[in-house]
Amino acid sequence: MTEEELSHRMKVIQFTEEDVARLKKLSPYAREYAEPVIEEFYRHLLSFEEMRAFFPDRRTLDYVKRKQKEYFVRLTEGDYGMKYVEDRLLIGAVHEKIDLPIKTYLAMYAYYENQVASRLRAAFAGHADEAFDVFLSLIKLIRLDMILAIDAYSLRREQTIRQQEEAIRELSTPVLRIRDRLLILPIIGLIDRKRATQITAQLLTSIRNARARVIVIDITGVPVVDTDTANHLVQTVEAARLLGAQVITTGLSSEIAQTIVRLGVDLSRLNTVGDLQGGVEEAERILGYRVIRGEGGSSYLEAG
Amino acid sequence: MEVPILKQGEYLIASVQVALSDQDLLALQQRLSALTGTQEVRGVVIDVTVLDVLDSYAVRILRMISEVLALRGARTIIAGIQPEVALAMVRLGLGLEGVETALDLEDAMEKIARRGKSRSPEGRSTWPPLSRNT
Repeated sequence: MTEEELSHRMKVIQFTEEDVARLKKLSPYAREYAEPVIEEFYRHLLSFEEMRAFFPDRRTLDYVKRKQKEYFVRLTEGDYGMKYVEDRLLIGAVHEKIDLPIKTYLAMYAYYENQVASRLRAAFAGHADEAFDVFLSLIKLIRLDMILAIDAYSLRREQTIRQQEEAIRELSTPVLRIRDRLLILPIIGLIDRKRATQITAQLLTSIRNARARVIVIDITGVPVVDTDTANHLVQTVEAARLLGAQVITTGLSSEIAQTIVRLGVDLSRLNTVGDLQGGVEEAERILGYRVIRGEGGSSYLEAG
Repeated sequence: MEVPILKQGEYLIASVQVALSDQDLLALQQRLSALTGTQEVRGVVIDVTVLDVLDSYAVRILRMISEVLALRGARTIIAGIQPEVALAMVRLGLGLEGVETALDLEDAMEKIARRGKSRSPEGRSTWPPLSRNT
């Protein structure tokens, strides 16, 4: 949030100097009412069971009460610059962090407004117009706070999403050895350039260490295969082949197969088998293994 | 430096010892071509383990060697391409299409032995790719 952005938002909600002046006039009232209004507010809040979980102990409650009182007074102090905004953003972020749903956060404001309205009515008895104007100014400011809170919420959420995307990308892709010279590489999640390189490097190292001759790459867990993903896959297969290993790809879903053909991607250089089981069987055949079902249903391998 | 070429049964082993210049590669191609073409030589293994880079020229010559030797009735196996080299090659689009590969010399000899026993076609190496499963 920058200085310009703030002044732009102020303009959008039509928050003017006039509003500031009106709010400043409220300052003595705010100081007087902060205590009872906030106490009342939390009494109301805590009457809802789902809210109690957010204030597990006395200390937390006292802390937020104190903060709220400061906020209440601050609403009428006429300083709504960057510092104010940053504090509001921080408050929003804190609420997001404790998983307070945004609807609850906004609903709390409704109670606030009611409380304040009734106090204003009492304070401005006989001056209904003035009370109404002051209340409107206050509402504008509260709107700004709500906007900021939603901003902070969505910012945190976006951060979380980015972090998760990062985590998914960096999920290690295990290379598993299931028979002598046979590796399985199950890929789960999206494959982008960075991950493809990482997977390929890891696979090549594993091929050398395990002296693998056949690798089954299972892409059942890859949700989307587009042109790029397909090309990455082809590159991985090519690289493995340069080390003398051959790759069997399995788990291409019907949907993905159709997409690939529609996109016109040439995957004829991939040796594909329907599912992982088929792929492993094919690999065993290449390596010269024969699986024989023994008595009692147990099976054993025979190197051919 | 001239690449030493050893004879091992019916196969020749060209064991690359140092990085090769373009001339060295061409010379290797000529020598291998000359040495094959007889009944005694069924194929050639070119061991490139020591090479930490394979540029486009080297890749082209290796492919040419494979094609030339095929015309001379011999098989070519490139053994010992390092993982980093493979990665770089793939990234530069330098495939070795049509050329047989092996993990190292030992793996190459195993592949030869399997082929020698005239196993079923799938015992063959990796190129061309296996026909689709039916």
